This record gives sequence, C-alpha cells and structure tokens, in this order.
Amino acid sequence: MTFEDAQLTAVPHAERFASLKAAMPIVVFLVPAVLFLVVFLLYPLISSFQLSLLDWNGLGTGERFVGLDNWVRLAQDKLFWGALRNNLALAFFSVLFQIPIALLLAVVLDEASKGSRILKILYFLPLLMSSVALGVVFKNIYDPNFGPINAFLSAVHLDALVHDWLGDPRLALGSVIVVICWQNIPFYMVLFLAGLSSFPSELGEAARLDGASESTIFWRIKLPFLQGTVRTAITLAIVGSMRYFDLIFIMTDGGPEGSSELMATYMFRTVFSSFQLGYGSTVASAMFLIVILVAAITMRLTRRYETEV
Amino acid sequence: MQSASVSKICALIGGLTVLALSPSAAQAQSKTITEWDLQTNPGPAKILDDAGARFDKANPGFKVEQSHIMNDAYKTKLKIAFGANQPPCVFSSWGGGPLKEYVKAGQVVDLSSYLAKDAAYRDRFATAGFSTVTFDGKVYGIPAENTVAAVVFYNKEIFAKEKLETPKTWDDLLNVVKVLKAKGIAPFSLANKNKWTGSMYYVYLVDRIGGPGVFAKAAARAPGGSFTDPAFIEAGKRIQELVKAGAFAEGYNGLDYDVGASRRLLYSGKAAMELIGTWEASTILGENPEFYKKLDFFQFPSVPGGKGSPTTVLGTIGDNFFSISSACKEPDAAFKLIQSLTDDISAQARLDDKRIIPVKGLKTSDPFLNRVMKLVADASSVQFWYDQELSPNLAQVHLNTTQALFGLSITPEAAAQQMEDAAKAEAK
Repeated sequence: MTFEDAQLTAVPHAERFASLKAAMPIVVFLVPAVLFLVVFLLYPLISSFQLSLLDWNGLGTGERFVGLDNWVRLAQDKLFWGALRNNLALAFFSVLFQIPIALLLAVVLDEASKGSRILKILYFLPLLMSSVALGVVFKNIYDPNFGPINAFLSAVHLDALVHDWLGDPRLALGSVIVVICWQNIPFYMVLFLAGLSSFPSELGEAARLDGASESTIFWRIKLPFLQGTVRTAITLAIVGSMRYFDLIFIMTDGGPEGSSELMATYMFRTVFSSFQLGYGSTVASAMFLIVILVAAITMRLTRRYETEV
Repeated sequence: MQSASVSKICALIGGLTVLALSPSAAQAQSKTITEWDLQTNPGPAKILDDAGARFDKANPGFKVEQSHIMNDAYKTKLKIAFGANQPPCVFSSWGGGPLKEYVKAGQVVDLSSYLAKDAAYRDRFATAGFSTVTFDGKVYGIPAENTVAAVVFYNKEIFAKEKLETPKTWDDLLNVVKVLKAKGIAPFSLANKNKWTGSMYYVYLVDRIGGPGVFAKAAARAPGGSFTDPAFIEAGKRIQELVKAGAFAEGYNGLDYDVGASRRLLYSGKAAMELIGTWEASTILGENPEFYKKLDFFQFPSVPGGKGSPTTVLGTIGDNFFSISSACKEPDAAFKLIQSLTDDISAQARLDDKRIIPVKGLKTSDPFLNRVMKLVADASSVQFWYDQELSPNLAQVHLNTTQALFGLSITPEAAAQQMEDAAKAEAK
C-alpha cells in the first residue's frame, strides 16, 4: 500500500459522504439538461453521421453500406460547393448590412427613448411575421409583370433598372438576401437596445460636461461598451446564415438553376425530392462540421472583444 | 387509520383509471383506418369526406380518419411517415417512379388479388388507368381523381383580335409567337420556378420528334435507348428556339405556379397561351369565371419531320392513385374504403366538379369534359409526366436540366449528356 492509497482510505467516511451530498444538487440539476442534449442533439448527430455512410432511399430495408463513397461524392459535388459559397455570401451581407443598420436604429431609438415606443413596435414587426407569409408577399413585390418594384421603376423611366428579380440567376440570391436582412434587422436592434439599456447614463453626462460631441460619445464610449453584444450579434448572424433555409425555400426554392441554393435547401432536396437519405445525411453532416468550423473561427477572431456579461 | 386512507387513495386512483379508460374502451371496438390525400380545395375534399362517411356507415366497427394535405408538404410528410414506420393505411400518389420506390421497399400492398376477387369493380376502370401503378405485372393503386391531358389553353379574344388560327404545326406556332410578340403580348405564360411546368414542353417535343419509344427505351435502359438520342437534343433546341423568339412572359424561370403567377398573366391579357394540364380549366373557373368564357384549348402542334403522332397526349389517366401501406393492420377494410372513395357517387361528384375518373361509360353534357375524354380516347398513346415516371433522383436531374435549357445557360447537348450520365450511374 502506497502512501497516497493510505491517505485516500484514511479520509473519514462521513467526510466523503458530505462531499457526495454536496455534489448531489449539481447532478440533479444537470441531469435533465444533459438528458435532453443527448436525446435531441448527440443522438441525432451520431445517427446522421452513420446514415451518411449508407446508400439508402429512407424507406424500409434495402440500405447498403458504402463507406466513405458519399463523402468522396460530396467533395466533387459542384452544387454543394456552390451552395456553400451562397451561404458565405449570405453571411457576409448579413453582417455587412444587418449589424450596422440595427445598431443605428437601436442608438437612435434609445436616444429618443420615450416617444419611440410606437416606432420600437413598428420596427419589430418584420421579425414577428411568419416567413412563409413574408416570402409570398415579397414574391409578389418582385413579380416582374405585376410587382410594384418594376412598375415604379418603369413609371419613373428607369427602365434600365427593371429586372427579373427572382428569375435571373445573377439576381435571385441578392433579391432574397435583401428580404432576409429586412426580416432580421429587428432582432439585432432589440439585442442592442437591451445592451444600451444597461449603459450608465452618468458616463454620457460626464462626457458631455467634458465637451464631448454626440459622435464622440457614440464611437468612444457607447460602441466600446457594446462590443460584447456586437460580437454576439455577429456570431449569431454568421451561424444563422450558414444554416439558413426558410425564405430561400419559399421564394426561389434554390433556383433558378441552383443559383440561390443553400446547404440546407440542397440537403432538403436531396432527401425529400431525390430520395437519397444517405447522401442527404452526408450533406447535413458536412453542414454541421462547416458551421462548427465557421463559428469557431468567428469566436477566435473576435475574442479580444469578449466582455464579461 | 392509515390503512383506511391508503385504501381510499387506491379506490380513488382505481376510479380515475376507469374513468380515463372508459371512453377509449368504448372506442376500442371501432378500428381506425387512416387515409391521406392531397385534395385541399373544399370541393374535392368534400367528395372524399362524403365517401369516407359512407364507408363508416356501411362498415360498423371501422372509423376513417382522413387528412387532406397541401401538395408539396404532402410529399415530405408521406416520406417521413413511411421512414418512421407510421404510414397511413390508405394514401394517394401519382404512381410512377416515386410509388415504385415505396413498392421496392416492400411498403405497399399488392392489390392484384383484391381486384381479381372483385372483377366487376376492376372492369369498371379503363385498363389504361392502371398503367402507371403496375409494376412487374402487379397493381399497386386505384385511379381515383381525374384524367388529365396537357394542352395549350389560349385566350380566344386575343386570337380573334389578332386574326390568329390555332397552330397545327411548329411553324404555325412560331408565327403565332411572332405576331403576338409584335403586339406586345407575351405568347406563353409559364411559371417555371416549379420546373415540372416547363418540363411539359420538353416531353411533348421529344414525343413529337422521336415518337413514344425514345423516352421509354432510354428510361428502361433498353438496348439502343439513350438520353443522348437526337430526339432529346432536338427537343432542347426547339425549346431554346422558342425562348429566343421571346415566346415566354418576363421572369418565367422565377414565377411560382402555386401562387397563380401564370394564370394572373392570362387573366390580365398580358399573355395569350399556357401549356398546362386540363385541371387548369376548373381552377380558372373557380378563380375567374369571367375569364373562363374566353378560354379554349388546342393540342400541342406537330413538329416537321417528327416521327411522333400528333395525337399523342401527355398526361395521366387517374391522376391520383390510392394505395394501401403494408403496415396497415386492416388491409381488407382499407380496400373497401378505396372502393368507397372511387364508387359511382364519387365518380359522379367528381364529374360535376369537372374531373374525370377513368371509369368506363361516363356520360356528361359538359362540352369541355367531352373534348378532354375524346382527346385521350383518340390518343395513339398517353405519355406520363417524366418527373413522375422516372426515379426520384433522375426526375430531379431532368427538371433541373430542363429549367437550365429554358434559362439558356446549358446547351441541349450538355443537358442530354447530364441526363444520360445520371441514368447510367443509377443503373449500375
């Protein structure tokens, strides 16, 4: 018996029991969360990886184990890489437009504080609308023959700007991205408003006494104060864009000619239209890895803006 | 004292259990037959509901639970239900490739023996009605909803005003396109976001150019059959010829059929024609009865030098087919339900709703329906939709390449080659 062992056994029985007792609440409180995570996150994740090794239409038996064939096919699948590129474009434009506009709205609304309650509700509305309804409305707005956009452009003799917004492969993705941004800006606006509500007003007052202009207060005090929130917003925008599905599915269905296809819509099509559950799971698993990777890179690059909440 | 309260609690729990169980105990005697279909419009859905109610009445002990589900959501929902081993007892499909996937997986009941037992019921149907649900000589579905042919609907008023005749040949058609285009009217309205809409042009052209055998051989991978057959390439060229002649209304590849984008163009007079299934007539009658008066149709024109008969029709005899899933515990009752859904009362109700179940000897005074029935009866053959005939995977390749043909972003040769490559890969 070594010295350590002897010490371990020497721990009085009651003391060990006490430490176990102290751990009990921790375990009890964690179990439900861990259980849900395992059932609804870990298990589907692992089984999706398993499915990605099969050639299977998802019906009955008849699945065939094909090893990494699906992954090799994915690596050579131009449609998938095109979809990934579209996801990255969506992420880029989401960050470029949604965050600054949301920040601007939040700061202005915060300044106007009392009189702005109605505006706050109004600006928040797009987020509350169902994506399906929104998609159908914008499909009609973009309609090249009856939509108000082209009608307006023709009326003011800007016929050069009249376009086939959703039917032209060069424009379809951009047209939908505009709607996606419009729908999501309110979310980040609320996030920033919440951040600004904890901004100590005496900081602003002190700065004003020292003769700081409003723009100095914004750039030098408010923005640094919000940096943690901005970081969160950027991460959310990027991760959300990488997994995006609904408005694209409703407005263009990935078309025309796959020009607005995203990873998620491609996965859906592969599983439910082409009946390739195995390959669809490969797309889903690859999507998961890519989202994790992109999220990790984002977190790493923005680490210096991390703030204690 | 304690034992008394314990027994009280036990009695209470027991009582509650009896209370909770009693309604289901009563229900346990009536078995549920689930039925899924995609008739969400109130008219067609009511016909099915009424038939379900008749079945309930005639078969005490059974209770039908019907769900009418939206078209695209239906396909997804059905697939998930089968994948999760909880399919409905009776379900409808379009037959063809997708149904074959379910059959191959052993998920669908072979109805041949039921039909053999009830020959009178079987012989009520036109034989052609079973062609898209028959695999290896076994029948897996009952034609239930409609007989559909794809035809070119047109606005009589516009044609009269521009002194146009309905085109019989491809050159006539190009001339119609030219005249309409010069007047600032879009010749064809096409909502090709959905892809199957544009596919109809391709199918008709292949058939008119190469005859019905070309596609059948290529799809079955028969000797000499190939998707690179000149007929497929020529069909692609003719489509692009139409596109370049400006035959389609602005934005066609982005317009959504499901929200009525193509019909809106017809109603407003901005477009003059639409190639679509004959179901469109009842849709238009429901949406715009005024416009219905201006509506007429003609058959897809012939192509010079083509081997196909100009009477061949693209369409389906049956349109929706009811099948029984293997997981169904009461297949006999399920078959009786299908019989109710397709009985004479249902057939007549559908006829009144301008839809034709492929049942022999149907009589109607409606001139439109009579013309459709004659069109199909006179057809030298009926070509089923490619996207439903092919396997789901090949169907996607067909739809995508055809949309790209319309978008002029792929050559007819490349489109044909992509199809052939995919078909070869799948045949392996």
